[in-house]
Amino acid sequence: MNANGEAAKAVPELLSPQNARLLLDSTEAFLFDCDGVIWKGDKLIDGVSETLDLLRSKGKKLVFVTNNSSKSRRQYAEKFNSLGIAVSEDEIFSSSFAAAMFMKVNDFPQEKKVYVIGGEGILQELQLAGFTGLGGPEDGKKTVELKSNCFFEHDKSVGAVVVGIDPYINYYKLQYGTLCIRENPGCLFIATNLDAVGHMTDLQEWPGAGCMVGAISSSTEKKPMVVGKPSTFMMDFLLQKYHINTSKMCMVGDRLDTDILFGQNAGCKTLLVLSGVTTQAILQDPSNKIQPDYYTSKVSDFLRFI
Amino acid sequence: MLSCSSHSSRATLSAFSHFLPTTSPYFNFSSLSPKTFSPTPLNFGWRATTAPKPRMAATFPARATAQPLQNADELIDSVETFIFDCDGVIWKGDSLIDGVPETLDMLRSRGKRLVFVTNNSTKSRKQYGKKFETLGLSVSEEEIFASSFAAAAYLKSINFPKDKKVYVIGEDGILKELELAGFEYLGGPEDGGKKIELKPGFLMEHDENVGAVVVGFDRYFNYYKIQYGTLCIRENPGCLFIATNRDAVTHLTDAQEWAGGGSMVGALAGSTQREPLVVGKPSTFMMDYLANKFGILKSQICMVGDRLDTDILFGQNGSCKTLLVLSGVTSLSMLQSPNNSIQPDFYTSKISDFLSLKAATV
Repeated sequence: MNANGEAAKAVPELLSPQNARLLLDSTEAFLFDCDGVIWKGDKLIDGVSETLDLLRSKGKKLVFVTNNSSKSRRQYAEKFNSLGIAVSEDEIFSSSFAAAMFMKVNDFPQEKKVYVIGGEGILQELQLAGFTGLGGPEDGKKTVELKSNCFFEHDKSVGAVVVGIDPYINYYKLQYGTLCIRENPGCLFIATNLDAVGHMTDLQEWPGAGCMVGAISSSTEKKPMVVGKPSTFMMDFLLQKYHINTSKMCMVGDRLDTDILFGQNAGCKTLLVLSGVTTQAILQDPSNKIQPDYYTSKVSDFLRFI
Repeated sequence: MLSCSSHSSRATLSAFSHFLPTTSPYFNFSSLSPKTFSPTPLNFGWRATTAPKPRMAATFPARATAQPLQNADELIDSVETFIFDCDGVIWKGDSLIDGVPETLDMLRSRGKRLVFVTNNSTKSRKQYGKKFETLGLSVSEEEIFASSFAAAAYLKSINFPKDKKVYVIGEDGILKELELAGFEYLGGPEDGGKKIELKPGFLMEHDENVGAVVVGFDRYFNYYKIQYGTLCIRENPGCLFIATNRDAVTHLTDAQEWAGGGSMVGALAGSTQREPLVVGKPSTFMMDYLANKFGILKSQICMVGDRLDTDILFGQNGSCKTLLVLSGVTSLSMLQSPNNSIQPDFYTSKISDFLSLKAATV
């Protein structure tokens, strides 16, 4: 059952020389998730560089759609370049960018501020979009005094709190965000994404934005607006740049409830890779209701099949 | 016996999926408007409870609206035990609320048993005893039931093996109670100083002997602890995920609200995609424990608290009488709001009304 309540699709096909060829021919743009697909932490997954070269040489458009809000699009382009892959900023759609765009399309007033529980990437994208961001990594150094004569102040002009993955999470930020949402009238609560865990390093998974969002959701008793996958909000910006029918796009990701669901919701083909958070056992477990069109072990399998 | 309420990861996702498009395959962003996106309230306080009874409001006919307390004597005579919440009922931060000592004395002189049940896990029973003493109240340790104690008592009640360890995301109170109960713990405030470096080749180890992670209010909360707790819960087979409480906000100082234990628990629920077992209010664990310990019938108890979704729900889940005081987090308008479905039996401004209302009926 996909999110639109349609009947369960057929069992996903294991990628093979036959169907890989067909997939390639019917796809004009490949959308790649990053963590667990392209890299794990700061380490490139084997064969990715050659695969991307191959796809480009076949005239395919490459787009990178990531829920990891710690970097801006520009910072991601720098990361790609440092790993030897030529990718331009405008081929990247990060949830940090999505958060800033959400504020823009909703005409968020420029005199209001945005409190950020998350990485530098969110602050940069907000700034690029003309908004004033507070908080971010800096607030990771702040401590809280719980004494009866100490009052915790917060900026009353904060009109939105954006929450994303934050390895510098602390009580100061939780309290600041909580007060803004609970006390500033009309304050928005925006989540870049809800991923529970992700491969922030090559050797293991680490708590994701779902954790920080869970914390603020609990203290404010509110649900956030989610701008990252599986929400298709970012797809609109993609379509502005690439005038390609989504049926001619293939979303390649390692996570069922974000990447694959995003692809399905947007009407794309979907390919699950097992190089990240999802194993074959999870995919085939009876409790799993999200069936990608195809699955394979890793992105570089394309090299073997094409 | 508490059962762990478990939610599948689907439940977590669907709670947030209202942003997904319904008709078009993707959002037509020109149709977005600021009005569409006001966040909707989420009733976490209820969803987390592991009370053996289902939600009263949903399965029983709607309760009568709360009555203002008029005949205090009648209420006092009808029960044998008063259970008091602490923050917002007895004290606010470090200041005693007016008339509390005299009220407690009066109740004791009328032969009533007094018990103090708090969701605040930062102190142990012994440390709370000292707080009561400092404020000039004579309350013994055995009369105090903090959620820190509840966590240790719960582990004892399920015969948690002594060769397993407990990882604590919380403060000193939990550590002290675990120690008193004979359990070995890791974590606590010390881990607040630990930092992580998300670099290639870095692997965070965790003790495979941890059989339970206890989460409560933690002002030293950080990513190290979240990861440690997450690894234990996800990778140690059978590892328990226990929450002392899920209060959204709490009055740690008398001047303002502070993000409560619910936020630390929410963080771990987010990363593990598991719901915890809650030992504090509104779960009836502490009610069952003290009813058993003191040999009292729940119908003989009146629960007095300032918070609807913990104190009053706790009392109702335990089939006790309930009295809401307006000296803490709940105002009269909140009680009477159409959004509120939790109706205590009675409400009054503060507990010292027992003295003034009593006088009025003479």
